[in-house]
Amino acid sequence: MELLRIRNLHASIGDKEILKGLDLVINRGEVHSIMGPNGNGKSTLAGVIAGNPKYTVTAGEIIYNGKNILDMPVDQRACEGIFLGFQYPVEIPGVSITNFMRTAVNEQRKYRGLDPLSASEFLKLMEEKKKVVEMTTKLANRSVNEGFSGGEKKKNEIFQMAMLDPTLAILDETDSGLDIDALRVVASGVNKLRKPDNATIVITHYQRLLDYIVPDYVHILYEGRIVKTGTKELALRLEKEGYEWVKEELTK
Amino acid sequence: MYQTIQDIQNRLKKNEVWRNTNFDDVLTIDMQTPQKADCAPANLQCNIPNLEALRVETVNGFCQTPLHTTAEGIIVGSLRQALAEHPDLAGLIYNQTPAQNPFKELNYQQYSDGIFVYVPDNTTASIPIQLLHIYNANLPIVAQSRNCIYVGNNSRLTLIHCDDSLNRQICFGNNVTEIIAGNNAVVDHYKMQNLNDVSGLNNQTYVVLDTAAHLLSVAITLNGGHIRNHSEIIMKGSHCDVQSHGLYLNDKNQRVENYIYVDHAYPDCRSHELFKGILDDSAQGQFNGHVLVSQGASKTEAYMQNKNILLTDKAHIYTRPFLEIYNDDVKCSHGSTIGQIDETALFYLRSRGISEHTAKTLLLYAFCDEVIRKIQLPVLRDRLGDMVKQRLHGDLSVCAECALNCTSSCGCNTQEFKIDPTRL
Repeated sequence: MELLRIRNLHASIGDKEILKGLDLVINRGEVHSIMGPNGNGKSTLAGVIAGNPKYTVTAGEIIYNGKNILDMPVDQRACEGIFLGFQYPVEIPGVSITNFMRTAVNEQRKYRGLDPLSASEFLKLMEEKKKVVEMTTKLANRSVNEGFSGGEKKKNEIFQMAMLDPTLAILDETDSGLDIDALRVVASGVNKLRKPDNATIVITHYQRLLDYIVPDYVHILYEGRIVKTGTKELALRLEKEGYEWVKEELTK
Repeated sequence: MYQTIQDIQNRLKKNEVWRNTNFDDVLTIDMQTPQKADCAPANLQCNIPNLEALRVETVNGFCQTPLHTTAEGIIVGSLRQALAEHPDLAGLIYNQTPAQNPFKELNYQQYSDGIFVYVPDNTTASIPIQLLHIYNANLPIVAQSRNCIYVGNNSRLTLIHCDDSLNRQICFGNNVTEIIAGNNAVVDHYKMQNLNDVSGLNNQTYVVLDTAAHLLSVAITLNGGHIRNHSEIIMKGSHCDVQSHGLYLNDKNQRVENYIYVDHAYPDCRSHELFKGILDDSAQGQFNGHVLVSQGASKTEAYMQNKNILLTDKAHIYTRPFLEIYNDDVKCSHGSTIGQIDETALFYLRSRGISEHTAKTLLLYAFCDEVIRKIQLPVLRDRLGDMVKQRLHGDLSVCAECALNCTSSCGCNTQEFKIDPTRL
């Protein structure tokens, strides 16, 4: 069943057009990987789906769960079940993770007409979800990402994903800056959260991550468009041969 | 009194430290000097849960707490009584800092009374001493109190220094606090101010630290018509440590000023200053920091920062972080920022489903938290954290929910009192 349909998406930052007519369809239960050389629009695509106001959509549409989401503010998209795992998670000194997550969970529950979780219910949920990413640190009094190592920050992204239980998760280079062990933990966290009715977009440079999170489709994003779609074998070929052959194919 | 203060302001027009200070917004022509008979004890309940403190109170400048000696040997109570009964001890601090400006001179000449605290050598005050200055008059008044605090060698003292209005009458407080700390003494001085919108406070603090003494000062201005925190800190020996921080949250037509002077004349001393503020509506703030590092003060470390968030186009901050350095072997830095909320952080919070309004409130609180965290006393830190949250949510009215639980019926619950994050 179709979850996301992106049609002819054009988006710019300032005067610079980055996405130049991108098309993508994602069904529930699928994992899609987006690969491509630096500076060709992967993070922009993630930001535009999540609703980052720094990008302007100049043409096209994004239909998510049957709704055009381009007019929705970022927080509403999150409440609709879209989650963005940041490439560079933001440090927010002074906001504790507990308070941050409790506010987020309860605002999302409110949006869906559910009662807020009580403090004890919430803490129980948090303890349970920490296990998804093997988080052992006491989070209660720590500020969001403040003083976290690269690995902790990425684990924290997946922890938040577990807490919020999104329908569509977009993971923007979640593997960057991770050592092998942390990569395994993060990837297995993502796999534990897979369900038949949700979908995941994994943006990555390296085939390595896809050994752990096995994608149904691999797309190549080049010059603002999806120029090639294949299966995980496509990622293996990219790992071996780079992007030159893709570029050559395109110029033919 | 009105004319006296006008004359002082005229005299100060060319004084670099005071020339931008003008209290006309909180002065009226009919201001009186309060009489002792009018200043009854206020009978307040302190609303900081689990705070155990020795409370000393002035009402309109008159001390309500008779001088007494605690089991630990700390002498505390009315300054005038101390001058009469312990002139030798009071003399250790009384008039030890000169009346170097006309507001201080006025206080020295005319103060009603004030609070005396004497902590002998080698004594740790087991509980904080709360200096509670209450303003509660039926007429517009100029209240003047004078505090003399002596902390002996190797001794420790925590002061919780509150200035609170109990009603909506105009009041101008012209207060002076002198603190002398001996060798290795540790003084924590928390100042909390919650006055009504028509009252002013010129709160001058003079601290003299002896060798290796430590001072922590955190001034939290929650509300008030026009508040000036004027601090001068002098280190009279090496290895001193000064932490002086402040937070101000002002709206409407309020004015707030922080002046801080730190004198480094000896080697191996450190000073840290962090002042942060959020200004809403037409509020105006000033930060004026001056660190003087003299020739002999090698290995000085001095850092000064002032960060501000302005919520409207009409809110103003005048900021001047100023270092004056005559020694090459020092580490010093200073800086000021005036800005809005960090867009990246805002997007991060919102991307988890948190509404724009809530996300901004969280970030404004986080901005304040950096100063709140400097408070070492957990119960006070939690309480002030809550009060700042309430202030940001608009729930805090001027005296119903300050450090005190206001029992008088001043009707302040009806007062709109809100820093509005939606304006960012």
